[in-house]
Order: sequence, then structure tokens, then C-alpha cells
Amino acid sequence: MPAFYITEDVQPDGPVVLAVSGEIDFEVSPRLSDCIDGHIKAGHVRLMLDLSEASFIDSTAIGVLAGAAMRLRKSSDGSLVLVCNVENRKIMRIFEIAGLESTVDVYHSREEAFADLAAAC
Amino acid sequence: MAVQTELSVAAELRMDARASELAGARRYAAEAAAAFGLEADAGYDFVYAVNEAVTNAIRHGSPDEHGQILLSVRAAEGRLVLSVHDRGNFALPTWPPRAGREGGRGFALMERLVDDVQVRVDRQGTTVTLTTARM
Repeated sequence: MPAFYITEDVQPDGPVVLAVSGEIDFEVSPRLSDCIDGHIKAGHVRLMLDLSEASFIDSTAIGVLAGAAMRLRKSSDGSLVLVCNVENRKIMRIFEIAGLESTVDVYHSREEAFADLAAAC
Repeated sequence: MAVQTELSVAAELRMDARASELAGARRYAAEAAAAFGLEADAGYDFVYAVNEAVTNAIRHGSPDEHGQILLSVRAAEGRLVLSVHDRGNFALPTWPPRAGREGGRGFALMERLVDDVQVRVDRQGTTVTLTTARM
């Protein structure tokens, strides 16, 4: 089972892309929360989280994502969007059951998300 | 020595009430689901629900004098039954969660993923029992 890992890609003009892999449970969801909060404090208010390589996401991590998305939406130019490959059925199924897509925009590829974000600017 | 059920997995697992032990709880639930014969999706759902129940026990419950909580599993009448017991008496979160609220999803997810969720709170503590039937 791949370990939890976050790859951070900070682009000068685009959203910060955080690629999260492995199992995201209550052992590591505080690290995900700290990572997101760190970027927001640094002024990176446009975040894209790619969970295509994640194999598990529990309710505490879903709460971190939903909470951050709600907070960022309240700022003038902030946003948090999710990316997950449709072939990752485990993660997509949990998103669906948790009703996450009513709170956070979910895209099936980074390209799709980038295109939508560019169109919104 | 662990008591064996017809599931060919240990009937009980005492685990330290620490988040670092959650992966072990998921492995135990996965072994029980496989031994019981749940199909892949139902097995994943069962493991997910168990992880939520154990997470609640770690976050909101109280461990025993050894710092542990107890998982027990059995098969009965075509159903797989797993209980998570701790010594606390945590209050059930309100449902549905308010918009933007970060907690309160665990029980709702459990109820969607297994056939039955029962919570018993008594002087011995809190027991969450998850039941799922073989399709």
C-alpha cells in the first residue's frame, strides 16, 4: 500500500497543485490540514488537490477539504478544487456518498480543472 | 491465545487507541471481510465503516487501563458483525452537518456503507456495531 505523501507544485500565476497519494486517514489528515493552512497563510488562496493517486480518504480528511473550500470561497479570489481520475473508483465513490461534490468542484483531470479555472478568470 | 471463529480470523483485536494503529484496524476488517466472502466493493465499504468507527473511538472515546480499545468480529446468520468498544460515552454527533462544518460525517458514511449501525452506551462504555450481509 503506497504511503501518504503530498507533492506540492507552486506556479507563479496558477493555482498551487497538491498531489496527495496513499491512504488519508486520521493519522495523516492533520498533516493535510497543516499543508493547506500553510499555503493559505502564505497567500496561496487558489488550491488544486489531485487525489488520483490516493487509495483511501476518511471523513476527517473530507472534513478538512470541505472546510478549507468553504473558507477559501469566502475570500474574494480564493478557491479549492479537487481532481480525481474517474478510474479511481474508491475515492470517487466516497466523494459521491459523502456528498462532497455539492460543496467542492471535482474534476476528472488537471487539464479539465485548469481549463475551467482559466475560463473563470 | 486468540479465539478463532469460523471466519478464520481472530475473534478479537485489542489495539492501542492511537491514530497510528488505524491501518492495522483496516487490515483486520479486510481479513474478516475476505474470510466472510464479501465481494470487493462490499468489502471496501465494510472496511471503510470500521475505520470510521475506530476513528470515533480514538477521537471521542476512552481507552481501557492499558490504553486500548476492543474490536470483535463474528459471522451470524449470513451477516458479518463487527463491534468497536471503548470505555467512554461519547455523544453522537448531530446530523446533518451544518454547511462548512468539518465533522459529523462519520456516522452518516457508516450508515450508507453497511446494512446496519447500532450504538450502545452503557456503564461499560460505548459499543458501535456494524453489520453487513453477504449479497
